[in-house]
Amino acid sequence: MTLDSHPPYDQWDSWTELDPQAWPKKVEREHMIVPTLCFNCEAGCGLLAYVDKETLTIKKIEGNPLHPGSRGKTCAKGPATLNQITDPERILHPLKRTGPRGGGQWEQVSWESVLEDIGGRIRASMKAERHDNLMYHVGRPGEDGFMNRLLQAWGVDGHNSHTNVCSAATRLGFMSMWGADRSSPDYANAEFVLLVSAKLESGHYFNPHAQRLTEAREQGTEIAVLDIRLSNTASIADHWLPTHPGSEAEVLLSIAGFLLREGLVNEPFVERWTNWRVTLPHLRQRISDEGLAETLPTGEGLAGTLPPGEGEEFADFLALMTHYYSERYPFSRAEEASGVPVALIEKIARKVGKAGEKLATHIWRNAASGNLGGWQIARALLFLNVLTGSVGCEGGTSPHDWHKMKPPTPPGAPPHSRWNELLWPPEYPLSHYEMSFLLPHLLLDGRGELDVYFTRVFNPVWTYPDGANWIEALSDESKIKLHVALTPTWNETAQFADYVLPMGHSPERHDHQSQETHMGRWIGLRQPVLREARRRLGIPCADTREANPGEVWEEAEFFLRLSWVIDPDGELGIRQHFEAPDRPGEPMTVDDFYRETFRAVPGLEEAAEKEGLDPLEYMRRRGAFEVERDGERLNLHEQEVGPEEPGVEIAGVRRAGFNTPSRRLEIWSEMLTDWGWAEHALPDAIESHIAPAQRGPDEIVLVPTFRLPVLIHSRSGNAKWLLEIAHSNPLWLSPTDAERFGLAMGALARVSTQIGSFVLRVWVTEGIRPGVVACSHHLGRWRKESEAPTNRWSAAPVSFQERGSELLVRRVTDGLEPFESDDPDSQRLWWQEVGVHQNMTFPVQPDPMSGMHCWHQVVRVQPAGPDDQEGDVRVDRERGREIYREWLKKTRPGPGPGGLRRPLWLKRPIRPTDEAYRVPSED
Amino acid sequence: MLWGKLIDHDKCIGCHACSVACKSENEVPLGSFRTWVKQVEKGEGLSAQRHFGVLRCNQCEDAPCVAICPTGAMHRRDNGIIDFEKDICIGCKGCIQACPYDAIYMDPVSNTAAKCNFCAHRIEVNLEPACVAVCPTGALVVSDLEDPDSPVARAAARSATSVRKPELGTRPKVFYKGADQSVLDPRAASRPLQGYWGASRGACGPLQTPEPGASGALDETPRGSGAPAAARVSYDVPRDGVPWGSKISAYLLTKSIGAGALMVGGLGLLLFKNSPSEKVGFLPPLLAFLFLNLTSLFLVADLRRPDRFMLLILKGRLESWLVKGAYVLLCSVILASIWGIASLSGYHWGAVVWHGLGLLAVGVGGAAAGYTAFLFAQARGRLFWQSPLLFPHLLVQAIAAGAAGLALACVLEQLITPGSTVVFEGRMVRLGGVLALGLVLNGVMIMGELSSHSSEDARIASRWISEGPGGNVLFWGVFVLGHIAPLVALALGLWLPANEGASPVLAIGVAGGASLVGLFLWDDLYVRAGQVPALS
Repeated sequence: MTLDSHPPYDQWDSWTELDPQAWPKKVEREHMIVPTLCFNCEAGCGLLAYVDKETLTIKKIEGNPLHPGSRGKTCAKGPATLNQITDPERILHPLKRTGPRGGGQWEQVSWESVLEDIGGRIRASMKAERHDNLMYHVGRPGEDGFMNRLLQAWGVDGHNSHTNVCSAATRLGFMSMWGADRSSPDYANAEFVLLVSAKLESGHYFNPHAQRLTEAREQGTEIAVLDIRLSNTASIADHWLPTHPGSEAEVLLSIAGFLLREGLVNEPFVERWTNWRVTLPHLRQRISDEGLAETLPTGEGLAGTLPPGEGEEFADFLALMTHYYSERYPFSRAEEASGVPVALIEKIARKVGKAGEKLATHIWRNAASGNLGGWQIARALLFLNVLTGSVGCEGGTSPHDWHKMKPPTPPGAPPHSRWNELLWPPEYPLSHYEMSFLLPHLLLDGRGELDVYFTRVFNPVWTYPDGANWIEALSDESKIKLHVALTPTWNETAQFADYVLPMGHSPERHDHQSQETHMGRWIGLRQPVLREARRRLGIPCADTREANPGEVWEEAEFFLRLSWVIDPDGELGIRQHFEAPDRPGEPMTVDDFYRETFRAVPGLEEAAEKEGLDPLEYMRRRGAFEVERDGERLNLHEQEVGPEEPGVEIAGVRRAGFNTPSRRLEIWSEMLTDWGWAEHALPDAIESHIAPAQRGPDEIVLVPTFRLPVLIHSRSGNAKWLLEIAHSNPLWLSPTDAERFGLAMGALARVSTQIGSFVLRVWVTEGIRPGVVACSHHLGRWRKESEAPTNRWSAAPVSFQERGSELLVRRVTDGLEPFESDDPDSQRLWWQEVGVHQNMTFPVQPDPMSGMHCWHQVVRVQPAGPDDQEGDVRVDRERGREIYREWLKKTRPGPGPGGLRRPLWLKRPIRPTDEAYRVPSED
Repeated sequence: MLWGKLIDHDKCIGCHACSVACKSENEVPLGSFRTWVKQVEKGEGLSAQRHFGVLRCNQCEDAPCVAICPTGAMHRRDNGIIDFEKDICIGCKGCIQACPYDAIYMDPVSNTAAKCNFCAHRIEVNLEPACVAVCPTGALVVSDLEDPDSPVARAAARSATSVRKPELGTRPKVFYKGADQSVLDPRAASRPLQGYWGASRGACGPLQTPEPGASGALDETPRGSGAPAAARVSYDVPRDGVPWGSKISAYLLTKSIGAGALMVGGLGLLLFKNSPSEKVGFLPPLLAFLFLNLTSLFLVADLRRPDRFMLLILKGRLESWLVKGAYVLLCSVILASIWGIASLSGYHWGAVVWHGLGLLAVGVGGAAAGYTAFLFAQARGRLFWQSPLLFPHLLVQAIAAGAAGLALACVLEQLITPGSTVVFEGRMVRLGGVLALGLVLNGVMIMGELSSHSSEDARIASRWISEGPGGNVLFWGVFVLGHIAPLVALALGLWLPANEGASPVLAIGVAGGASLVGLFLWDDLYVRAGQVPALS
């Protein structure tokens, strides 16, 4: 007899379980099971909400077995969604600021007045042609096209995101090589997995990927992890390479050199699919320029002098590549830079070579996001896939867009022709994408101002570097005239808003979403489950607010409505894009939007028909649809294409290839040459801003980026079950450094950055190598003592003590305290610790090419002084401004070739017309 | 059908999804845990590793929690699941003491015991437990052990699996694969006060006493000096604290006085050939009656559900020494009442009847004094209490406490209604002698308890008493005040050649009072020390 993991699908409308509280008495409870998608990390795992039919409340949340990515499983954050819904401190009504901005005084207002005020302001800005003064800044989008369509229809180049504090570096590294900005590894079928990430505990897409990595491990696949910190992933892996931060590319390229030397390169693949013909002359020149020609071995017509540019052979290319990477990146140099012994690097190199086409690799943030030039780390990793031919094949690594289903949204407006330099400043023509973390600096520089600034699931005051300058900009009502925070929970940024508008959690909102979790494709629907339950029970529900707690709404419906308020009569040409497709003149509903969108998903209509449903109803009942099965989306680059379609001729046949300008894998990137970075056109290592040469003798590297498996940014701050597990972020310190700094386990330390310092306890551990300290993300939440109590599960009340441009944020209590609320658990809050808010002490450090904020910090560590208190954060705002200006000097501003602001082929959200890419000529 | 579970640490990634899914499914309050993932760091340099241990109820075939449970609230279902019924739990916490795996907690809402029950309510409707259903990597598996082809049965049949604390013979039905010993064995890793996700158990749990091994002075870590390379707990959950505290220590003392009064008085009845009742007097049954009732009051007061104390009798399971003990206490009180009434009524029974009563009093008193040794032995999680010396020690302590109590009562009686000095002094000398003998033997027993130990837990507990936080109390309170001072007072007051300074009343007052304080302090040390060693 075997047990079921989940109730059978055919019983979801009426599923009876026994009440665990009454057990062993058998008291039956009837539920309706309604699927949705998780909204904690970006993976979009399938969830099932158990709706109690008697009370119409959500009793619990489990995984959705019909979801092809997550397959019924979730991480800890899935079931903890219930905490977020029932949080006694959540925002239930629209609030409007009454006192000064940031003063913590609010009044409840009606949604109608909110729509009228905001809509009126947006309309006024549009009529005055101040479209660039409108901005929508999203932290967690959790959706695949709704807002892009909307902003395009508004004609606003105002989409801002969190990408540049997250993954910009990886995106540039990947984009420059294979024209996709991320990767989709086939772990389950790999022979060897090489990770520069902590895939088993965090990141994109931890739960679905952990499942497949575990399957692979069961079959004997070995995993190697490059990470200075002993992550859970590094601990479980077969090989841990604790590479010193910034040295990762050196190690990866030394492996590349080894593959080339040992003949472990997949020559047919490299010859067929790379731009080696373009690369060869540049490579030859590079070898000559760098004085490497003298050491070139004899033979194969290359001895001493370089062969002429004609009649080049692939063999020459290989020989020169071998020479270049062997000379530039010997194992000995990798060991020196990384601290990882040659023997171990060589062992990994052999395994990479042996795996051949079955090499799955992954990097997303990690080292790439920590270091200046981190984008080359991602590129170096992908370079190993290219050399082994493990691209797009079973067990290899594919471009992510092969495995993500992004159906067209209902027809809308054509691209607009605007270019907003607050998002796309000329200094960063290759950035991926908007320079979001520079926004306060650009505003303070006077480069623009904002009439209406939406922040959505976004907390830059806390999450971003240099939070003090965010506070400065957000507090300035002449720079940001109206700040509207759309958020399910209180956060540090919402406190500096004019309106705080409550939006739903994952079971309280609509979105469609797809992610590249494996070698197939799926699409999922996030939906307000209580509204769906009402629908099935025949209870009328005009909009999502009626089903959600209080007056909590959802963005999709809010923005559809707002679009009508902005353009009630159609004068601005906006309204027409928000009319129901089959009922002209009537507003488009969420049902209209998603029904149309799902109709465009291949095979969905047919699958729905088999069950007698329309595509939307099918998605509302099942939550997800498998477009192609695992393994069905491989080798797409080999697909033959017609002459009209993008493609490249390979041995006489036109094939799809990759999304680069050459449709090939670009070892030499002409884009980088064209845009003034020829020295980085090959996969190479760039010296990090935290490299040994950049540090003083008493300075050390701080790795501040790593996540915990049970938390998600600052958004899990109201999930009591998660915080109960993790509520502190001590400083990881090796025993060697602990002795050096005179710090014992649990002692208070002060960590000083370039613009400030923070005080926290130390955790002495073998889990970090000497010379580096680390402190996790998520923790150290605060609220000003003057504010009404919010976030008491995670935030400590603090005082702001300002002196000139210096700010001291200090706790006014020992930490958390039990509190009274509707949830009896709030009286049982047993931990005091809150951790420390380190990010505020980091200056902005934008990588001049990718635009990535380089997170790693050069710091000094010392025992806390008599004036230091645990949790103290000191920062000098002006110093933050100075460092911003210093990093700005590293850039090579556009325009590039053809007077372009950005290469036309390079991705960017809500791509405007080609015209917008051209800098208007002076005359 | 016999449900068993496999926890496959070759697959566990330490994500804590199981912990949270369980909280959600079973509405487990903050601060309580039916399952958790302990983490231990081990090794140095490149070989450093973090090990996970998914810990929870082991669903023992021979379940100590079921054996000790007085009402059957903890029970075994037909399918092998060890389940609990909160409606009949009286909150005695015996199950918490019995469980060697730290798996049981007191639910703060119902004030009753709760733990992992394999989500029996889900299994009933053919669903996997919540933790199994959620686990991303399939590290948790539940299947029928009676089916040799089921995954858990197959895994358990291989030698690659292990169970926690197999030496205790509880026969767990939760099997571990690939788990490092450092997470399964609570002694195998030291516990720094700082964890990497928060303060660790030593600092944040209600049990404020750091266990030996947590402090530098008392590092008991077998694998090294506490240097980082040694195994070290990096994450653990806080515990309920000390389930049995001062009320249980007080229960032990009042029981010793009451039961001791029966024994000493009964001994008196046996020793006097003529008119034993008159010579022994009314005080022993009175003292026994009062203190044994007080004992029951302390027991009831220590229940988390004192309103349900009658279930001890109504639902009483004789397998439980809590129930046997309740009957023994009841018998003792009845015997004391009969004796007292007979003694007060002045009815002239023959000496033979009194001798018979004396024999009965010694026997029943001894049972009341000593049964706790069997109760504590049923607390199989607490290895310090599994001492063969405990039964004789409790008898000796009862004799000393009974003598001390009776002597004090005699003094009190003499002060209120002065009687014959000769009779009084005779009683004093005899009781003083018994007390002295009892104290000497008790001292020997204490030394014995602290020196001979068959387990690491017992050694940690006795070191906690002798060298750790209990050290001062042991030396000054138990030995100096509780034993040496009374013996000196007795010697000075009663046996030194009579001179003007010798005062029997003062000597007995000092000796009786001091020895009772000392006995209480010992009981308190003993009860607390048994709960010091971490179980998980």
